[in-house]
Amino acid sequence: MYSFDYKSPSSLSEAVAMLQSSDDGLLLAGGHTLLPTMKQRLASASDLIDLGGVSELRGISVSDDTVTVGAMTAHAEVAASSDVRGTIPALADLAGGIGDPQVRSIANSDPSADYPAALVGLCATVNTNSRSISAEDFFTGMFETALEENEIITSVSFHIPKCAAYCKFPNPASRYAIVGVMFADCNHGLRVAVTGAGPSVFRVSEMESALAQSCTASSIAGISISADGLNSDIHASAEYRAHLVTVMAKRAVEKACASC
Amino acid sequence: MGAYLSTFAPCIPTYLHATLLAGQYSTPLVYCEIKAVFTNTVPVDAYRGAGRPEATYLLERIVQVAADQLGLDPTEIRRRNFIQPDQFPYQTPVALVYDTGDYESSLNKALETSDYAGFAARKEASKAAGKLRGIGVSSYIEACGIAPSNVVGSLGARAGLYEAATIRVNPTGSISVLTGSHSHGQGHETTFAQVVSEKLGVDIDSVEIVHGDTDKIPFGMGTYGSRSIAVGGTAIVNALDKIIAKGKKIAAHLLEASESDIEFENGSFVVPGTDKAKAFGEIALTAYVPHQYPLEDLEPGLEETAFYDPKNFTFPAGTYICEVEVDPETGVVDIASFHATDDFGTVINPMIVEGQVHGGLVQGIGQALLESAAYDENGQLLSGSYMDYTMPRASDVPSFSVDTTVTVCGHNPLGVKGCGEAGAIGSPPAVINAILNALAEVGVTNIDMPATPHRVWQAIRNAQAS
Repeated sequence: MYSFDYKSPSSLSEAVAMLQSSDDGLLLAGGHTLLPTMKQRLASASDLIDLGGVSELRGISVSDDTVTVGAMTAHAEVAASSDVRGTIPALADLAGGIGDPQVRSIANSDPSADYPAALVGLCATVNTNSRSISAEDFFTGMFETALEENEIITSVSFHIPKCAAYCKFPNPASRYAIVGVMFADCNHGLRVAVTGAGPSVFRVSEMESALAQSCTASSIAGISISADGLNSDIHASAEYRAHLVTVMAKRAVEKACASC
Repeated sequence: MGAYLSTFAPCIPTYLHATLLAGQYSTPLVYCEIKAVFTNTVPVDAYRGAGRPEATYLLERIVQVAADQLGLDPTEIRRRNFIQPDQFPYQTPVALVYDTGDYESSLNKALETSDYAGFAARKEASKAAGKLRGIGVSSYIEACGIAPSNVVGSLGARAGLYEAATIRVNPTGSISVLTGSHSHGQGHETTFAQVVSEKLGVDIDSVEIVHGDTDKIPFGMGTYGSRSIAVGGTAIVNALDKIIAKGKKIAAHLLEASESDIEFENGSFVVPGTDKAKAFGEIALTAYVPHQYPLEDLEPGLEETAFYDPKNFTFPAGTYICEVEVDPETGVVDIASFHATDDFGTVINPMIVEGQVHGGLVQGIGQALLESAAYDENGQLLSGSYMDYTMPRASDVPSFSVDTTVTVCGHNPLGVKGCGEAGAIGSPPAVINAILNALAEVGVTNIDMPATPHRVWQAIRNAQAS
């Protein structure tokens, strides 16, 4: 690991100021991706700015039609929150299925992370210290987001759907999502959002149109997506991932309809 | 072999593999040719079972294929070919002489505990839930306690295969056992202490097992190949016999009796038919405070060492029955149940033996379903961390049903055969036979380990395409 200065701001404005004044500052928000990368000297920072002490970035609030989750809220808190369970149980389920209970960020657009499916599936808005970005505009590619220099995510607001469910096929070893599908029926329409399968989260519009006609698992059973451009590794080929998208989507629709 | 030879590498696919290819069957001829090749990968070496899992996999898959081709139930083809109890000792065509066994008893017990007869109904229930159910049988045999030293020496081994034990009876009557069989989770501290406690009639808490510190212990060979109780345990028993023999001399002196009239019973040296008796503790104290002692004929002290070199291997055997449910949509294999019936000879501590079987089964199931050392074409390891190398977890395996039958080993005093590797040896073909039984109806006839979801799905897809 290369040497760096550790900084611990106590407010968002202080964090932004530190980021702006640093040569090559990085934000520490958990560190499950950043720290291993730094240890392998694949990343380096002049300043490591720890957001753990910024209390305004934590917490969950519910308004009429949205659930807003602070950027530094732990997965375990989302999973256990009665507010989330009562409004978007699929989101609580998703948070509860991430890693182990001890390890439970969207900011790096990891292709096998679970949250991107929730953000896109639940028509979420990513709030930063300077603006609000729709989830679909936020994820721009593998490990790439719309975040700009010195921009910090403060919270994410999820639309409360009529019903939703998340089904994932975990990597047998790491248990990251090989394919994870969030199906949601909300005011913006029906959404099928897929994580794990491709370089970044994506929607399956053909399935969404079929479900708009008939919201049943059987209506999408015959829809297969193309394997072109999907991820491939020793655990799952692109063809297998494409197949699993349909299977997980069917199961998410079944599960969601059962809770409607 | 990997890029270069490691300590044990050439032995595994040869001496520990080909010699097991007779299995539990009276096959008159066995031919085996092994090609060892160097590859641009990490060198291989012994792993739980070492050679015997490979032999068992080959054989028990062949038996399954033969049963399918002949239209026989997989248990019937085994029954017809088992070596029968009256055929022991049995000389196989591949060098080994099996001393004892009763293979049909293990099979029968496994059929009973697994409710083999009720499988068809369970298959129907799975089908109604959209799942493919299969059942698989594996009747394994293994060879433990590799020996004798001179034979393996003639085959190229450069080490002896004995084990050593010292029994040190302390003046207070407590006992220190110094053993070359190291205990790193196998529970020797308990099992060996039980052997001593039972043999000498002393409380188990007064027995201390000393292992691992080469400054203290006699030169032994160690813990491997399921040998600890069969070889290390026998060395302990032989040293205990020397202790008892010396104790008889001391007792004879104290009781003014002839040494040949002394018996050792329930922790006391007695002259049968009289009230003459000396407790073991009294003899121990006398050995270290030799005031009334035959000093001209006998050294003071009570400490004996034995080195034991076995005459033959031991041959644990058994039948495993595995039931799986396959999700044809995802290729995920769920092990619905797993029943093991093992013959380990005399069982000294049933709980430790059951724990050994559980661990072995998890390792075997890991091999059958999950674990893969994956390389790319340049020899770069792709599964270099637990993010990619799938170690079995508790949620990957069912609650095991474990049972034993007993035929006593004929050539060691405890009648024991060893249990450390059986689970890992017998389980992989039971799992794969079960998967292929489940997939038969969708036309899949072969699959290679590990049967990962991706591989099972691909096999189903390929079968559908053809």
